[in-house]
Amino acid sequence: MFLRRRVRILLVVLVLASLVLVTVDFRSGGDGPLDRLRGGVTSLLRPVQDGLTTVVRPIGDSFGGLGELLRIRADNERLRERVEVLEQRHRSAADIQRENAELRELLAMREHTGVEGVAARVVALGPTGFEWVVTIDVGRADGIERDMPVVNGDGLVGRVIQVEEHAARVLLSIDPNFGAPARHASNGEAGTVVGRGGEPMLFQPFDPEVDVEVGDEIVTSAYQSGAFPGGIPIGTVAEVGEVTAGLVLDVQVRPFVDFTRLHHVIVVTSEPVADLPPFEDAPEPEFTPPPGPPTVDGDEAESDAEAGDEGADDAEAAP
Amino acid sequence: MILRVLAVGLLLVTAALLQTALFPFLTLAGFRPDLLLLVTVAIGLRDGPLPGLRVGFAAGLLTDLLVSQSPVGIAALITTLTGFIVGLARPYLAPESVTAPVIIAFVTGLLGTAGYGVLALLLGEERVAPVMLLQASVAVGLYNTVLAPVVLAAVRRLSDRFPLTGPGLLD
Repeated sequence: MFLRRRVRILLVVLVLASLVLVTVDFRSGGDGPLDRLRGGVTSLLRPVQDGLTTVVRPIGDSFGGLGELLRIRADNERLRERVEVLEQRHRSAADIQRENAELRELLAMREHTGVEGVAARVVALGPTGFEWVVTIDVGRADGIERDMPVVNGDGLVGRVIQVEEHAARVLLSIDPNFGAPARHASNGEAGTVVGRGGEPMLFQPFDPEVDVEVGDEIVTSAYQSGAFPGGIPIGTVAEVGEVTAGLVLDVQVRPFVDFTRLHHVIVVTSEPVADLPPFEDAPEPEFTPPPGPPTVDGDEAESDAEAGDEGADDAEAAP
Repeated sequence: MILRVLAVGLLLVTAALLQTALFPFLTLAGFRPDLLLLVTVAIGLRDGPLPGLRVGFAAGLLTDLLVSQSPVGIAALITTLTGFIVGLARPYLAPESVTAPVIIAFVTGLLGTAGYGVLALLLGEERVAPVMLLQASVAVGLYNTVLAPVVLAAVRRLSDRFPLTGPGLLD
C-alpha cells in the first residue's frame, strides 16, 4: 500500500514538473534558462555525435533508408522526363541564347553578393520527426552568430537559430518555421518562400499574376534588408498552382539542396548586401521622428539624419 | 543502486546519440524511431511502474533538450506517462511472451508520437500538420516495433546485471 502511494506521488510530481517546464519554456521566449540548458546539452554531445557521424555516415550513405529506393526511382523517372524536356529545349538556338543570358545574369548576381563564410560539418539532426534542425561543428568561437544564413554548394540550407561555443543549431529551410524573402531568378519577381517539411517548399510571389513556369529557378532576395544575401539559389519550380481566393499564387519549389545528404555547409558571416537603393521620390515626411535610442543600422541612421536636416530646412523656411 | 543509475543514464545518452547521429541516415519513409521512448517502455516492462516513471521522465527531458523549437517538457510528460502505464500493464502480461512487448512497442510508438505532436500543436506549433502527424505516428510505431526485440534484450541484460534494489521492486 505504501509503495503504491509512493508511485502515485511520484507520478503526480513528475507530471507537474513536466507541465511547469512547458510553462516556463513557453513563457520565457527565446532565451530562458531552459534554452541555456539546451545549449549545454548541444555543446556536451557535439564531439560524440561528431565522431559517431563520421563512423556511421558511410554506412548510412551506402545503405540508405527503406524509402530511399522508392525516392531514387521516382527521382530517376523525374530526371528522365527532365532530360527529355531539356533536350527539346536545346534544339532551338534562340532558346540556348536566352538560357545563356539568364545564366549569365544569375552568375553576375552570385558574384555580386560576394558572401564570406565559415565552413562547417553537420554532426547531428534533431531527435523527433517534427522539426528539421541540424547541429554543426562551429560556434561562437568561429564567429558564428544567431540568424546567420547557411548555404552549401547547391544553395540555401537554412539559418542559425542557436549558438554555443563550438556548436550551433541550424533551422533547415525545409522546416515549416522557416521563411525567407525570395525572387524569381530570371524575371526578378519578389515573394516569400517557406518550408513545408517533407513536402516541396512553397514560393508565394507578391504579384499572383506573375508568369512562373515549371523549371524556373528561385533565389533568395535581400528584399527589405532581410537576413539573407540576395541570389543564393533555393530551388526550381516543380508545380505552379492556381491563384487562390485570397489572391495568393502557390508555387511549389523543389530545393536544390539534398537535405538527407547534408555533409558540409558554409555559414555566411558577411553582412547581407543591401538590395534596394532608397527611394528618391519619397514624399516629404510630415512629422519629425521622435527622439529615440540611436539605431545600429547604418542605413537607417543616415536616413534619420537626412530627415532631421529636412525638418531643420522647413523650420527655417516657415518664418 | 548508484551503478544502476549510471548504467541507465549511459543507456539513455547512447540512445539519444544514436537517435540524432545514426538514425537520420537509416530512416523509414523519412521518419526515425523514438529510441528513448522505446528504452522507457523496456524499463517499464522489465521493472514496473516506478522505474518506468523515473526513467521515462529522464528520457523525455533528454529528448526535450535535444529538440530546438517545441517547448521543453512535452516529451517528458509523454514518456513519463508511457513508462508508468506500461509498468502498470506488466503484471498482466505473460513473462515469456514475445508478442505482448512487440504490440506494446507499436502502440506506445504510435500513441507517444501522436501525443507529442498533438501537445506541440496545442502549444501553437503550427508546423505539425495533422497528415504528417499521422504518418509520423505510424512510421515511428512500426520502426519501434522492428527495434523492440533488440532494445528489450539490451535493457533486460542491463537490468539483470544491475538489478533494481530497494523500493519499487515489489510494484
